Amino acid sequence: MLHLARVRVLRQSLLLLRSELRQELRDLELVLTSTFFTLVVLGMFYLSFAALEKKHTLPAVPGLLWLTVAFVGSITLTRAFDREREADTLRALLVAPVERTAIYVAKAGSTLLVLLVCCALLVPGLASMFPAGQVFLDMPLETATLVVLGCLGYVAIGTLFAAGLAGGGGKNMLLAVILYPVTTPVLMFGLVTTRALLDNNPNLPSYLGQMAALDVILLGVGALLFEPVLVGAAPARTAQAARQHARERLRAAGREEPR
Amino acid sequence: MKRKSELVVPLLFLAAAPLAVYSVQRVFLHTPNERTMGTAFKIFFFHVPMGWLCMLMAVISGVAAYVQLRRRSRTAAAVALASAEIGFLGGLGVMLTGPIWGHATWGTPWTGDARQVTTALLWLVIAAYLLLRHFGQHASERLAAALAIFGAVNVPLIYYAVKLWKTTHPTTGVVAKLPPEMWATFWPGLGALLLVSFGLFAIRARQLVLAGELDDAYVRLEDSRA
Repeated sequence: MLHLARVRVLRQSLLLLRSELRQELRDLELVLTSTFFTLVVLGMFYLSFAALEKKHTLPAVPGLLWLTVAFVGSITLTRAFDREREADTLRALLVAPVERTAIYVAKAGSTLLVLLVCCALLVPGLASMFPAGQVFLDMPLETATLVVLGCLGYVAIGTLFAAGLAGGGGKNMLLAVILYPVTTPVLMFGLVTTRALLDNNPNLPSYLGQMAALDVILLGVGALLFEPVLVGAAPARTAQAARQHARERLRAAGREEPR
Repeated sequence: MKRKSELVVPLLFLAAAPLAVYSVQRVFLHTPNERTMGTAFKIFFFHVPMGWLCMLMAVISGVAAYVQLRRRSRTAAAVALASAEIGFLGGLGVMLTGPIWGHATWGTPWTGDARQVTTALLWLVIAAYLLLRHFGQHASERLAAALAIFGAVNVPLIYYAVKLWKTTHPTTGVVAKLPPEMWATFWPGLGALLLVSFGLFAIRARQLVLAGELDDAYVRLEDSRA
């Protein structure tokens, strides 16, 4: 049964993700605005730090990478859920006969893809602008793993809070207030791991493993909280209703009723 | 006549008062200076209990927020907010005393050490929770609860940050290595702080529950007039 439920959630997640991507491919709104914003931030970083020597850019590059991810992530999430709010489609999704976890996974998946497209510009950009970032191009596999793990952790939390604000009619300004403190542990792990990558630290696989473990925790907590945050928990059952429910279950199982 | 439960808070404060006086005089008059840190080490007796209080309250707030989300409990929502407020004050104490101790011991108030940064983060999460509870709209109470849960998830991260990131901060076993006379000073201070905090927490949680009931009564009154 559990296996079937998992397959159902996976199938629904893929269907919803496909629908998200189809919608995005119609006008490329999120991809275009987010990549443009990434380029603007890169340009500003270049103007600010181009004069620094290599030894000074070494500790700066990890910060530039993850700050950009944080900025781009927050505008992507804001826009992704603004779109839902404008058309009131989040409510439609919530009343559709799909698991809420599937909605969370699809939204997180589509945001992750947009962030990864931005990172595909950001990382080579940083590598070409700052000599310290050359390692990104020399070790593409490790860099890709690091970026995917960092962005995954960010969207795992970001999707939950952006959806919560969009669903509750909350104020957008609050997203940045919430998102930055909550996502900073992920970004800190990202910083430490990126520094290890740039330093050619032999502990890099261990740091990547820790990031993966953190992602699993954040995805688990995010998926667990998505439904209660968006629609609220079912009202607490009264003692009488709970007894009735227990009786029905026992009757269904063909056992005697408790006295 | 007062109910028995109403006597708990005055009793907590009454127990805390002599303990606080005893603890402060012990810190300054009867506890020897630490060998390497000298007098600056005395701030440890204030800094560490406040750090523990902040983390404890973050955990209580996270657990209460989870109950609030699962059961739509107003009491749990009040407990979550009250504990976050006390945790915020504890965190403020840590953020003020930490740099003073750091300046005296390491020569710099802020080393960017992992546990410092993560404690500051926990404090920021608590601050964001309070902002959301005070300025968010009605449905953002649930969102704030999720934030409190993430705050609680951060607590073990803080604890293990030292081991994970091999930093310059005193290791997490510092309390275990204290000589017995320092232990004897540490526990009464921690006890006094916890008693006062739980007293304030109980007052605030009860006040929040009553405020909610008052709102309900007002709405019922308006409905009956309409």
